[in-house]
Parts: sequence; C-alpha cells; structure tokens
Amino acid sequence: MIDVIEAARTSGVQWLSLYAFSTENWRRPSQEVDFLMQLVRRVVRKHAPLLHARGIRCRFLGASDPRIPGPLARDFADLTTLTEANRGMTLTVAFDHGGRGDIVEAARSLIRAGVPADDVDEQCFAAHLPVPDTPDVDLVIRTSGEQRISNFMLWQVAYAEWIFPSVLWPDFRAPHFLECLHTYQQRSRRFGGVTPHANGEPHP
Amino acid sequence: MTYTGSSRPSQHESGPTDRGGGPVPPVPAPPIAGGPVPEGPPGSLFGPDSQFHRFFNDPRWALAMLRATVLEAAHPQIGAALIDNSVFVAHPWRRLRNTLMSLQRMSGADEHAREREAARLNRMHARMTGTDTQNRPYDAMDPQARAWVIATLFESSVTMCRLSGQPLDQRTMERLYAEFQAFLTTLGDQGAQLPPTLKEFWQYYDRMVEEELENTEALRIILYKLFDHLPAPPLLGGLPTVWATGRAVAGPVIGTITVASLPGPFRRRAGLPEVPGARTLMQSAYMTAGLARFLPDNWLRTEDLTRLLYLSPDGEDPQSAALAALRDRVRRAGALFRLVTPFPVQHGSAEKTEPQRSAEDFFTEVLDQTGDGYLDWPDLAAMARELASCLDLDEPEETKLYRAFAEWWRELQSALDLDGDGRISGAEYAAAVPSLAGPALIRVAEVLFSVTDTDGNQFIDADEYRALFRTGFRRTVDGADAGYSRSAFVNDFLSFMSGRRRSTAYDPLLSGA
Repeated sequence: MIDVIEAARTSGVQWLSLYAFSTENWRRPSQEVDFLMQLVRRVVRKHAPLLHARGIRCRFLGASDPRIPGPLARDFADLTTLTEANRGMTLTVAFDHGGRGDIVEAARSLIRAGVPADDVDEQCFAAHLPVPDTPDVDLVIRTSGEQRISNFMLWQVAYAEWIFPSVLWPDFRAPHFLECLHTYQQRSRRFGGVTPHANGEPHP
Repeated sequence: MTYTGSSRPSQHESGPTDRGGGPVPPVPAPPIAGGPVPEGPPGSLFGPDSQFHRFFNDPRWALAMLRATVLEAAHPQIGAALIDNSVFVAHPWRRLRNTLMSLQRMSGADEHAREREAARLNRMHARMTGTDTQNRPYDAMDPQARAWVIATLFESSVTMCRLSGQPLDQRTMERLYAEFQAFLTTLGDQGAQLPPTLKEFWQYYDRMVEEELENTEALRIILYKLFDHLPAPPLLGGLPTVWATGRAVAGPVIGTITVASLPGPFRRRAGLPEVPGARTLMQSAYMTAGLARFLPDNWLRTEDLTRLLYLSPDGEDPQSAALAALRDRVRRAGALFRLVTPFPVQHGSAEKTEPQRSAEDFFTEVLDQTGDGYLDWPDLAAMARELASCLDLDEPEETKLYRAFAEWWRELQSALDLDGDGRISGAEYAAAVPSLAGPALIRVAEVLFSVTDTDGNQFIDADEYRALFRTGFRRTVDGADAGYSRSAFVNDFLSFMSGRRRSTAYDPLLSGA
C-alpha cells in the first residue's frame, strides 16, 4: 500500500483516496473484522512517520462508527493531527465509509442549517458533504477484477474514469498503478459535452 | 512556575462594603494615571507607574499568589465560599487566566475600565452566599472577608520580597499599601476595612493569623489535592504522560514551599507539617525566582506565560498566530509521540469514539464545574459567570443570562434530583440524560442568541457570529460567512448542552481546564 502511495506522490497526484473498509464490511464475520482492525492499526502506526516526512496530509473519511476500537480511533485522530498542516498530497482513507451515507449526511446538514429548498444547488450540496474540499474524482481503480462501485464516494465519482485491473489488491504495486495512470492519459474525457478536455485539466 | 497561581480563588475579586465600622482610610480618590511620575508618593496609584504594576511580571508572584490563596482559604468564610462556588479544582487554568485578566483591569490606568470591572466583580460575588458544613453562613460580599483578601495579597507581596532577600524599604511599602487600599476603595462604594496605617495593619494581620484563621477544607484542598490532580493546561493537553510525571515531582515540592512560607503561629495552630529543610528550599525557591529579574525584560511576562498556558490561540492579538502555531506543534508532537510508542497489548475493548461522549464524561467535563462530583447551582452559576464574562455582558443582559440558568437549574432539579438531596449526582444524571433539553435550556440558548444578535435582526450575521466566537469562545470559526439563524444556533447549543455532541465551539469554553 505504501508502495502505491509513494508512486502516486512521485507522479504528481494531488489527491489519493483509498477504500479500506466499507460500512457494509461490518457484516463480515467478527473474527475477520477484528483481524482487519488490528492490521489497519499496525499499518497506520508503522507508516505514520514516513507519511508525515513525505509531506502527505492524511485523513479519514467515515471512521465514526462506535464499533471501531478506541485505540484505533485514537490512532486515526493522531495521524490526522500529525499531518494536518502538510501541503503535499492529500491521502483520504475511506474507513467505514459509505457513499450513500455521506449523501444522507449532507442532506441532514442542509436541513439543520435551515437552507431554503430553492437555494440548494449542486455546489451548495457538495459543500455539506463530509470533507467537502475533496475535488471530483478523476480516476477510480477497482482491483481484483471486480466491476462494481460498492457505494464508494458516490457523489464525487460522477464523471470519473474507471479502470478494472485483474490483479488482486494485496499484489497491486507501483508498476500497476503507473500502468493505470498511463491508460487514463489515453482516455478522452468530455464530461458529457463535445469539446474534448485534456485530461487532468479542471473542468467546469 | 506554571502550576502555582492556578488556584487563585477570590482574591481581588472581592471588595469592601462599609459594614463593620473601621475607620475610613485616608485614601485619595482613585486618580487617573497622570504623566509619568518616576517614583515617590505623588504618582498614580494605578496604571503602569504603580508599585503593584512593577510586581506584576515578577516570577516570584507565582509563589506569592499561591501563598496568598492559601491564607485566604484559611479564612473560614472565604474557604467555605471557595469550596462551594469556585471552579479552581476542576478548571484551575481557566480560573488563573480570568483572575489575571481581572487583576490587570483593576490595576490599569483606565478609570472607566476599573469601575466596570469592579461592578462586575461585585455582581459576581453578590451571587455567592450560603452556609458551610457547620451551618455557618458565608457571604462573598462580607466586608471583613473582602478586606482579608486584599490584606493577604499585600502581605504576600511584602513577604515575597523579604524571603527573596530584597526587602522593600519603608517608603515603597507604604506606597504599595496605599495602592492596595485604593484597590479596595475602587471595589466598594464606601470606605474600606483595612486599617488606616501600615503599623495598624501589621497588628490587624497578626491578630487575624492568631485568632481567625483555621485549617479549612479549602486550605487542605489547595495544599494537597490540587497539585495531585492538576489537569494539564490546554497547551500540554496532548502530552498527558509528560505532564503527569512533571506534576508528580513538582506538586509536593510546591506544597512544601508554600507551607514553609506561611506564618509560624498559623502553621503550628493548623497542624501543618514541618519538613526538615523546607525552609531552606523555600528560601532558595524565592531567591531563584527573584534572580529572574535580571533576565531580559520580555522573557518573563506573566500575561504571556498565562496566555501561553491557557492559550487563546485564535484571538485578535498579533501574538495569537504564533501561539496557535506553537499549540499546533505541541499537539502534533503529542500525536507523534503516541503513534510511535510501542504497540500496546490489544485488549479488544470498544471504547467510545470521539464525536459522541458518554453521559459520565459530559457530567465531569462540562456540567460539574466545581469538581465535587455533584451538579448543583454553583456549577451552573459558574457556567453563567464564564459566559457572561467572556461575552463581556453588562446589565441587564447579565441578569437575564443568570435568570435563564437559574430557571434551567430548577427544571433540572425537579426532573433529575430523585433522592431529593437538592443536588444531582452523576448517576442521577446518567439515568435521565434525554430530559435535559427542556424548555428552560432552550430559554438559555435564546438569551445567548439575543445578546449576540446585537442588531436584533433575528439572525446572527457573519460579524456577530465571529464576535461571539472570538470574544465568547476565543476562537475563529470557519464558515462564518453563512451566518446563523436562531433555530440553528439553538439546536447546536442544545445538542451540546444535553451532551449529545461534542462541539468545537463550546468545548474549549466550558470543559477546558
């Protein structure tokens, strides 16, 4: 994983999100969940200093479920605090994340803020999503040969390009990532219009 | 030295009324700070030329203030008022900052500011009355008690100079005394209770020490309990281990130093321990602190130190950015420290995570301001006091706020006090959390909203919102452009006060140490 993060950073990616654990994953057998939590904690602690040294800003999307063990939540918070002033790449780890949940959360936040219905537009809505500074997603890489969205950042992937390498996630390394980037560069993105935009260029 | 001043209880927050006779001291009406008079009697008794002001940035003050506090707490009336009303055990750092701010206003050159602060202090103390454990009534406005507070301050300043080997000459001492008398005069509308001359003062002081002072509960708490449980100041909040270690060493030392500096007759009568070598230790502490006056001017400034400790990082003053940066660095250091400490044995215990807090946590962190394990009127009064002073409320807004809190207290009492002992225990609270957000609490939120909505348009606009958080909660907030409607404000406040949600705005204010 750290391999891929490093490859992304060196090739100039500004925003990288990893989908570590979905809300639905809680349904897995509890032993498996426990093991996963342990694993995540070990990984976070092991790589924290390195991530910080590379100027990567880390944060966690979701990660508010009371089922997350306290020490792990503490580590998440600490890593976020430690790296919050970094201005290199932003690494968002979606943990216990669900795209629909985010949208519901935004709706709640809008209602709470008392915004009149007519004032709600896409921009305003997006501002109420969790971590609202995340830009639209350009590229989604779904490994392991699966071809599903799995409730991942539903709002942000509206115009994303998708790539489905067959390699399993644990085997997915820097060369695979660079290959995906290369494929992405070949695509022509039109965002529903006719004028082709150069890839990576900010779109309206 | 940080730990010391922390305990400051009602100090200068007291003042005289003219009960109990006692000759009116020949104190000149508080003059407005005139031109710079270098030294000598005709100078202003307030402002930057005063003797008192010269002490203000003296590191020895930390020791002296702690000593004065102990002497105050030994006064049965003051001790009882402290135990019941003061938040210094649970929130010593906030208390310290408030006290210093008040002291500064009271000793400043601006006459109007002094009068305003005096009026605020008087209003605050008029609300503190009750009976102690032996059913003796106390009253924070009692003129004798208030005079004693000023007396301990004066005497501790003099003693601090003596103990550090730089005794004050007679003339300076007279002048300092006149300043403290003027201080007391500003607080009350009539004459003060301090004896007219310095000679008579020492007789009065000795008599108080010999006859009036007791080994009160408040005194024991300050000497022995406060340091054992002194919470880390917000700045060091991220480094609990480091703090606990330092505290374990420093606490007993400071306690010993303070005891050794108390008047001998009182030590004997109160049965305070005589530790071998304590006197030497105490004298060297005062000497060392005294030597710090040779440091460059701006190295040691009480205000800076307190501000650093309590840290109001997002305030308006120019240093706040630097302070905020420092605070962030400390927080990050704490985070890194925890992340790299070896992996502890995993005990799959599912602790609660951040955004929601348990009823018990909320009870101890926010509601129980006096830290006695019960929710009682003084706890809510402390909250009202904190909000009123942070928002700089005058009459009639202040009374409105107090009244709203009192109303809430009655509501809480009738809903939660199951065993009818007049106060609410943590268990009673936890059993009934949902009923907390009753109509009276909503009223509190509405009063808060109205005092913030200065232009009365039923909407806290960006400026008012910023002003509320800057002055009231000492932080700059993001998204202030959006403004805040009455209902949104009330909702946020309710969800915080009923303990359902942590709040970035209110947490630092009411749960900060």
